[in-house]
Amino acid sequence: VKCQHYPPVRALQASAALRRASDEHKKEPLTSSSQQHFDSPPASHQPEQEPQGPHPSYTGQGGQESEDYESEEQLQHRILTAALEFVPEHGWTAEAIAEGAKTLGLSVAAAGMFHSDGSELILHFVSECNTKLSKLLEKEQKLVQLGEAEKKPIDEFLRDAVEARLRMLIPYIEKWPQALSVLLLPRNIPSSLNLLTSMIDDIWHYAGDQSTDFNWYTRRAVLTGIYNTTELVMMQDSSPGFEDTWRFLGNRVADAMTMSNTASQVQSTGEAVVQGLMGAAVTVSNAETSRAVR
Amino acid sequence: VPGGAAALRLCSTRVAQEGINKPVIDRIIRVDHAGEYGANRIYAGQMAVLGRSSVGPVIQQMWNQEKVHLKKFNELMVAYRVRPTVLLPFWNVAGFVLGAGSALLGKKGAMACTVAVEESISEHYNNQIRTLIEEDPEKYKELLQVIKQFRDEEQEHHDIGLEHDAEATPAYSILKTAIQLGCKAAIFLSERI
Repeated sequence: VKCQHYPPVRALQASAALRRASDEHKKEPLTSSSQQHFDSPPASHQPEQEPQGPHPSYTGQGGQESEDYESEEQLQHRILTAALEFVPEHGWTAEAIAEGAKTLGLSVAAAGMFHSDGSELILHFVSECNTKLSKLLEKEQKLVQLGEAEKKPIDEFLRDAVEARLRMLIPYIEKWPQALSVLLLPRNIPSSLNLLTSMIDDIWHYAGDQSTDFNWYTRRAVLTGIYNTTELVMMQDSSPGFEDTWRFLGNRVADAMTMSNTASQVQSTGEAVVQGLMGAAVTVSNAETSRAVR
Repeated sequence: VPGGAAALRLCSTRVAQEGINKPVIDRIIRVDHAGEYGANRIYAGQMAVLGRSSVGPVIQQMWNQEKVHLKKFNELMVAYRVRPTVLLPFWNVAGFVLGAGSALLGKKGAMACTVAVEESISEHYNNQIRTLIEEDPEKYKELLQVIKQFRDEEQEHHDIGLEHDAEATPAYSILKTAIQLGCKAAIFLSERI
């Protein structure tokens, strides 16, 4: 799982900090509850999440660091994760963040730590989804390595990975167009682009891509195109279970495969034609030489 | 998607990513990969012109060593998950043109080009070795070993070039300076894009 570094949007450093912290198995209750947030947002909200230790100490920030010291980034991370549950209702807004802060027993003024357009909340969500995807792909890879699962053909692998990632949007699909437009704000473009490219790179890495030439770029560009267009189709899709979207995705991946096959066919045809021409030229020059001799 | 099935395999060749200075290692591997790729193309260009001359076997042997270097950096690139430079297609052409062009100046010209390039590369590898040793010699032991070995081989190529009368080339110092300037620019760009 790649560690990602973002420009100074502090809430995001929280994600990185959280990942590091979870390696030291400190934040397990949090990650498992955030899983549930993705799957079933409005209903359940976990009061059990609170007593994971002494309350975060704002006043302690200038003072000594104890074992339970929580940095501002970690705090922001917790608030944003809690806020996700309220997104379907309030959208990617300060209200959702305020509600999230309330469930953690904090004042609604905590929402003042963040931008009013919900940028950090959206970037946090995207980052969490990407992490989930990485973990999923890594797990699948382990199964294949242990021989417990079949290695998927490349088109199926890409299709499944993109589908899995897009499915994470389903609980928030109503408000996702709003999120997309926020992600395209000039201020957010470096971060959102960074997140997108690392996700695509991750998918190709687990698909087994080992290219070290320009193909590295071509493959990633093609997959980014597939992902973005499928995401847009999904926004407009009202079919049951988003089947139209998955069919669209399958077709785009198949197109990409065809394109690559065509490209290699064109190349080998070209090489064959060149060889044919060279052979003809040699034949003609031999014929000329032998005629001159006669 | 473009590229044959041969380039797709189980990614079990990964190196542990935690704890390494990713930006520094990224740059090192990217620029070294570009360098070996360019060197390959330079020798290919020289062989295209001088392949059947008396220095053909010498150039071929140096080229073969560069092929080994490139193969090693391909592996390291996958293991460390480093992005190749966007400029590869450009180095493809530029390297070949440089090799063929210098070879058209004659055998001494080709050797002069070799001396210039290999001197640049050796100096560049030395800088990288210094950087890695300053970072953490233990952590980057394998990479250091590879770079040291390659630096020694590039130095050999440099010496072979001198042995074959590189310095007798007309306008040797101008040629050498121009080529080394080009190498510096190539290194600067490949590290970043």
